[in-house]
Parts: sequence; structure tokens; C-alpha cells
Amino acid sequence: MLKRALAIITLLIIGYWLAQGLAGVPFGEDRMLVGQYYLDHVKEQTGAVNAVTAVVVNYRGFDTLGEVTVLFIASTGVGALLWRRKKERTAKTEGSIVLTTGTRLLVPFVMLFGAYIFIHGHLTPGGGFPGGATIATAFLLLYMAFIVYEIPHKAFEKVEGAVGMTYVIVGLIGLAIGGYFLYDWIWQDWQWGAENIGRLFSGGFIPVIYTIIGLKVGTELSGIIDNMVKEEVSE
Amino acid sequence: MNALAAVGEALVLIGTFFYFLSALGLIRMPDVYNRMQTATKSATLGSLGVIVGVGIWALGTDFGSAAWLTKTIVIAVFLLLTNPISAHALIRAAYKSGIPLWEGSVMDKYREHMEAKAKAAEAPEVETPEETPKEGGEE
Repeated sequence: MLKRALAIITLLIIGYWLAQGLAGVPFGEDRMLVGQYYLDHVKEQTGAVNAVTAVVVNYRGFDTLGEVTVLFIASTGVGALLWRRKKERTAKTEGSIVLTTGTRLLVPFVMLFGAYIFIHGHLTPGGGFPGGATIATAFLLLYMAFIVYEIPHKAFEKVEGAVGMTYVIVGLIGLAIGGYFLYDWIWQDWQWGAENIGRLFSGGFIPVIYTIIGLKVGTELSGIIDNMVKEEVSE
Repeated sequence: MNALAAVGEALVLIGTFFYFLSALGLIRMPDVYNRMQTATKSATLGSLGVIVGVGIWALGTDFGSAAWLTKTIVIAVFLLLTNPISAHALIRAAYKSGIPLWEGSVMDKYREHMEAKAKAAEAPEVETPEETPKEGGEE
């Protein structure tokens, strides 16, 4: 009781303090210092119409590389924490016939939609991370509906590593051509797709990077699911 | 304001009305299974009304295009396919974890079926292929 009361009082104090700090920030006013620059130049500098993905991939590509690294470390960490000599799925009941049939029907569409999200990252909201998460959802569905389903490990781990490396290689090609890491050579030097901004084949290397990130995130989250679902079996 | 916009507005209104009924059912119904019944059916229908209604409504306005309707129909079909499946899985899980029926229920055929199955499994000397006539005899 005393503990709870103390916790509530402390939280109230912290909340009041944060509210005091936020009270000095004017909301609803024009506070764009860098933002206006992004909005004004995003089309001719990156070829993308989605300013968010242009900022995330082009202007601040290092952040995205860091996020991909964080996800990779999380996946590796889960794998290392839950490592056992022999792990199997020990689920006892298969999903009902409605669930299994529904999963069979839905999985291709969920995957298609995930691919749609990450391919259209430069045009519509979304990008690599939501698309990858959607694809991982499809594998989660398979894991939930079938008691014996397992992801094809060999292919998945290879794809994961290969696409992660491709991201760095794309950045390094930029370094070789343009002079700095993650330089958008497809857009800046080749002017590829310059005449159809707003259509699918535009946006410099944003679709390329996002396809890579989508595949990576999808395989990684599926790997985490796989690690967490399986249990140790005694011989 | 033309006919398409009016149709869309009417559909959205009907959809929100069904949403309201669904929320009302969640409060009013006695047990989990009845609540799932109201929540699933009327919420699915309400969503279909609202979503497709928005698509048709957008067709009737000057900024609208067929892309709106296409997208909303895709979303509606997806909801139509997935909502019953999720409700089915939820109810089945609730039943399997032993949540009781409403005390006013008069019949639980599924439990009878499961008990008959368990009995058949306990007595294997009665030769298992005779399963179907036994079930028919019970009903």
C-alpha cells in the first residue's frame, strides 16, 4: 500500500515536471527549422514523394542502418539466449480446420501485401520495417495454425545475412562513386527515373534499400518467432 | 451532393448504427459466447458498411476517384474473410480453457460429443470404426 502510494506520488511529480517542460513549447505553430528544407527539396534531391522515407533512407541513412543493426542484434541475442542443443516444437493441438484453411488462404495475401508495402516505400506510407513485420506476421500465422510448421532455416539465415550485407555494399558503392557513405548514386549520378517521379520506377535507391530492409526484417522477426516458439526436449 | 454521395452517406450511417449495436451487445449480453456473437457479426457488418460507404461516398465528391472504391473494397473483403476466423479461434479457445456457458443455456452438444469421443477412446475393444452410428444414435 505504502509502496504503491509512493510510486503514484513519484509518477505524479515526474508527470508535473514533464508537463511544465512541455508547457514552454508552442504547439500548432510553425516550428520547422530543418523540416521546411526537407519538404522543399525532397523531390529533386531524392526523387521520392514520401518525405518520411526519403529522410529515413536518404538524408539520415545512418539511422536506418543502425536500426537494422539493432534488429539484427536482437535476433541474434534471442537466438543466443534461447540456445539449446535440441529444440522442437511441442505444441499439442493443431488449430481447428477453420483456422488452418483460413491460414492457407490468407498467408499468400499477407505476404503479397507485405511486399507491396516495402516496394512502394517511396510512394505510400510504410517502408521496409512495416513491410517486413507484415511478412513476419504471415509466418507467425503459419506457426500458430500448424503444429509442425517450421521456417526453412537454411534459406532464411542465408537471406538475412546476404541482404544485410547488400545494404552495406550499396552504401559502399555510394562511397566509391559519390564520396560519402550511402550516397544515392542511382538518383544523383544516373538520374534514373527522373522523368516519372511519383510512379513505381523512381525514388533513387529508396526502393532498393527498402526491399533489402523488408526482406531482412521479415526473416529476422520470423527467426525470433521460431526461437521463442520452440521448446527444449529431453531425449 | 449527388446520388453516389448520398448512397455512401447512408451506408456509413448504417455501418455506425451497427457499430453502436455491437458495442451495446458487448455490455448487455450475459456470457462470453453471446458477447462474441454480437461483437463479431454486427461489427463486421458495420465495418463493411462504413468502409464500402466511404469508397462510394468518395466517388460522389469532386476529388474522388475509382482508386478509393478499389482500396476500400479490398479492405472490406479482407475484413470479411478474417473477422469470422478470428472470432472462431477466440471462441474455441475460450471453450477449451473452460469458460462456462451462460447458466440459462439448455444444451451443450459439443461437450456431449467430446465426452462420447473420450469414452470411445477409453474403451478401444469396441472397435473404433463404429464411431459414426454411435454419434447418430445419441442424437
